[in-house]
Amino acid sequence: MDQRGRVLTLMAPPTLWLLLLFVLPMGAMALFTFRAGSFGAEREIWTLEHYRAFAGNWPFQRLLVRSAFVALLTALGSLVLAYPLAYYLAFHAGEGRLLLLTLILVPAWTSYLLRILAWKLILGSNGLLNSLLISLGLTAEGLPILLYSPAAVVITLIYVWTPFTALPIFAALQRIDRRLLEAAADLGHRPWEVFLRVTLPLSMPGVLAGFFFAFIPTVGEYVTPLLVGGARGVMYGNLIQDQFVRALNWPLGALMSLVMLVSVLLALLLFSGLVRQSTRVRL
Amino acid sequence: MPTRTGFARAAFLLFALALAACGSAPPAQNQAQAPAATAVPPAEPSAPAAAMASGGPLIVLEWAGYEDPGLWQPFADEHPQAKVDFSFFADNAEALTKLQSGFAADVVHPCSDYWKLFVDAGLMQPIDTARLRHWPDVRESLAKEGQFNGQQYFIPWDWGYESILYRTDKVTTPPTSWADLWRPEYAGRVAIQDSGSVAYIVAGLALGIDPWNATAEQSEAIKQKLIELKPNLLNYWSDSTSLTQQIAAGDVWVAGNAWSDAYITLQGDGVPVEYITPKEGRLGWLCGFGIPASAQNLDLAYAYIDATLAPESMAYMSNTNGYGAANAKALELTDETLVAAMQLDQPNIIDRTVFYQAVSAEQNELFNSMWAEVKAAP
Repeated sequence: MDQRGRVLTLMAPPTLWLLLLFVLPMGAMALFTFRAGSFGAEREIWTLEHYRAFAGNWPFQRLLVRSAFVALLTALGSLVLAYPLAYYLAFHAGEGRLLLLTLILVPAWTSYLLRILAWKLILGSNGLLNSLLISLGLTAEGLPILLYSPAAVVITLIYVWTPFTALPIFAALQRIDRRLLEAAADLGHRPWEVFLRVTLPLSMPGVLAGFFFAFIPTVGEYVTPLLVGGARGVMYGNLIQDQFVRALNWPLGALMSLVMLVSVLLALLLFSGLVRQSTRVRL
Repeated sequence: MPTRTGFARAAFLLFALALAACGSAPPAQNQAQAPAATAVPPAEPSAPAAAMASGGPLIVLEWAGYEDPGLWQPFADEHPQAKVDFSFFADNAEALTKLQSGFAADVVHPCSDYWKLFVDAGLMQPIDTARLRHWPDVRESLAKEGQFNGQQYFIPWDWGYESILYRTDKVTTPPTSWADLWRPEYAGRVAIQDSGSVAYIVAGLALGIDPWNATAEQSEAIKQKLIELKPNLLNYWSDSTSLTQQIAAGDVWVAGNAWSDAYITLQGDGVPVEYITPKEGRLGWLCGFGIPASAQNLDLAYAYIDATLAPESMAYMSNTNGYGAANAKALELTDETLVAAMQLDQPNIIDRTVFYQAVSAEQNELFNSMWAEVKAAP
């Protein structure tokens, strides 16, 4: 078999899988946005009504922007925490690196729901954090409640995503040729200059991958806001869910999902373009 | 190697697309409709499932918290080999949607304001009351509520109140009216049910508007009023158990609407709470069981409903939740102080409270679209 044939054989199953279980459902969803209703005769009527409704509904649009902002904070927060972690693993952990890597991922083995509920115990009015602050005498009445706020959502999501963000950064740092670092030091760079001018730029692909890992799924997140977000922490994903499970307005729900998908992709393209340009300049 | 980077870029884009799509379906499910909790009757859990009528488990579409086997113990005793799967909903609109979108359930437990919608949508089948041994004991005034087109579609089961519940140790000025939920003193400490219809009706009562016959302008006023409530809101609750926990933890101080079970539980746990009668009146509800047209286990569905109607099941429900029972015989098994406190011996709550009225399809749509906009508003 020539190389071309081999590639085709290898690519066929995943391509088929993506086509059947991803591209096709996406197409069906896009089609659904033009239907008048979810069932019966209404389903067979084609209309732009939902596009009009969404365009005129500024609370929904505003919430999408807000959710993107929450996702941005989450992704940046995860990066800030994950980078030192990955750096330590790649450069200083030595033989124990595999064990440490496993330990970092251990929480991911427990239920996602359980980990979120744990944060409820920490952030509540009589939670761990407030009890600690009161017993240390730092505050008399404890902080105003942290739970059920956008901040609680961001904190919980940063916790959830940090290990996953660390993985691609770790992989990128791992690949860096150590001789480059020595050369930079030999040429008179101080350690922080070596980091800023050699290590960081070379690990950028990992940082970007980590950023996307956290950012993309968070924009449409609905479980975490439901459990710890409260009334002020409602996100765009919760509204999409409401359209499907409550309002039975599947076309509008599909449209809201589509708008989210397209705007996230546009933002990503723009963002990665900017990053590529800026790294090119620096290199 | 231009082709390779091109391929890599395409692969990345596809991956990003897949990831973005996954964003709306994170690893875990919504708590309120979490993966159906399975309750195996305690009797003989290891008995072969093959002995069952039509193979599959009995599927009960329920409010969270009603999976308690004490509510259907006779069923577990008589059908030890039957498996019962519960699927939960947070409000009537959600149960209606679930059936409309093709979910096959054997028993469903919505409340009377939505009963006609279920029947009109063709989702239910009439019930042969002769197959229910406890049917003759069901109060007639309540039974009438479940009749449509001359047939019995719903079997009334539980009725009770919705009112304001507050922490007496946290709140200095006790609420006396539904309008008090908007009091600045309660900022960030109020919880209300995640339900468009409940929110709409509560806001209507606070404004002095008849929420079931509101004009378009009044509707708009109700929406604005609910948006004004947002600075006071800490959370939307989707099941009574989590509301109870939030009140006990001291997170929620004033529950804008709470069912009486929250009051009974919190009082039993020694949490200082009071359950008021607002000057506009408490809200009153009546719920009951129906059999969806899509039911797969008809015999088991009848057996299950009959078991819930047994006096001991109903008394268990009254004693744990403080709700009234449709079966008149349950009263003698119910705790006397509870009966007095909740006035459970007087089933004419329709006269004493603001009773939930039948909702039309248009109203349901209005409630839901309004609620989405209120939740999305800043």
